[in-house]
Amino acid sequence: MTNEFDVEIIERDDRSALFVVRGLTPAFANGIRRAMVADVPTFSIDTVRFVENSSVMFDEMIGLRLGLVPLTTPLDDFEVGETVTLALDVEGPATAYSGDIETSVPEVVPADENIPIIELKENQRLEFEADAVLESGKVHAKQQGGVAVGYRHLQRIEVVGDAPEFDEQEPNILRGVIETEDGELVVTDEFDNDLTQRYPGKEVEVVDVPDTFVFDVETDGSFTVDELVLRAIESIDARAAELEEKVSV
Amino acid sequence: MSYKCSRCKRDVELDEYGGVRCPYCGHRVLLKERARTVKEVDVE
Amino acid sequence: MMIPVRCFTCGTVVGEHWEEFKARAKEGDEDPAEVLDELGVNRHCCRRMMVSHTDLVDVVSPYQ
Repeated sequence: MTNEFDVEIIERDDRSALFVVRGLTPAFANGIRRAMVADVPTFSIDTVRFVENSSVMFDEMIGLRLGLVPLTTPLDDFEVGETVTLALDVEGPATAYSGDIETSVPEVVPADENIPIIELKENQRLEFEADAVLESGKVHAKQQGGVAVGYRHLQRIEVVGDAPEFDEQEPNILRGVIETEDGELVVTDEFDNDLTQRYPGKEVEVVDVPDTFVFDVETDGSFTVDELVLRAIESIDARAAELEEKVSV
Repeated sequence: MSYKCSRCKRDVELDEYGGVRCPYCGHRVLLKERARTVKEVDVE
Repeated sequence: MMIPVRCFTCGTVVGEHWEEFKARAKEGDEDPAEVLDELGVNRHCCRRMMVSHTDLVDVVSPYQ
């Protein structure tokens, strides 16, 4: 099986992307999705040593919140299992934000700085030291780099005739990306996700394009979408090579 | 084990014979103070 | 108590936008739907995290 994949990027941002891939089996499309969710490692706080916590929340509750804070992850510089030390010391009255967390490595910092961790009142104080570990999403959902990663068949719209003249047209809602008869890719937001807006007075048929998938990918800020997708493909590649090697013996 | 009386806010040392009662004001509700050691928590 | 860091359903970070949402929609007089659109909180799973949340720190803090 040596297919050529044809990738067309429709929207690309730092943290989200929408792209169409042709020449893919459903199994392979799902393989990519799963690799993005479970196989690309990210940094996440794993153990917390509380020096002082006189806030209204228990240590475990604050620990849980800290684990969910996304940390920027330079994957080239670290191996899975490596740790980075972080620390925070905030005294009330104030709110402790994720941006207040200090790290031992300047490349690993909270990806978002305005996440409230805990509101502290007069005489309350939060001080801790924490270890962030680089692990894959298989271990814990907090380690997933991909967030809301999904794919669907590309849908092709074919005009089959005119709608009956005096019929009230019902909305025909589609989401994501569609392909028109001339092979043009259109984001459904452009016509308010309703086909009757784009083809008023027409009768249309929607068919799935075989072996073509629209991916909708978002990251939590640990790295860019490009990095996430490429690393996921790399991990599939590495596992396929390993399988080939083991089977050929 | 160190406790704190919830009424008079004084530190109370409990022994096994005295029962649960503040020796200063007789109040029976005592609060356990947080240990001063560093507490390690695994994030799950 | 505090705004959850991430959306329960999809895992997007919603805590990041809470302070601005609170200032503009909860305490201000802007339309919550418009504020959420502007903040990029698009899915209805994430939107309900913000709309239905109440800060309870002030309520529990007197009880130490």
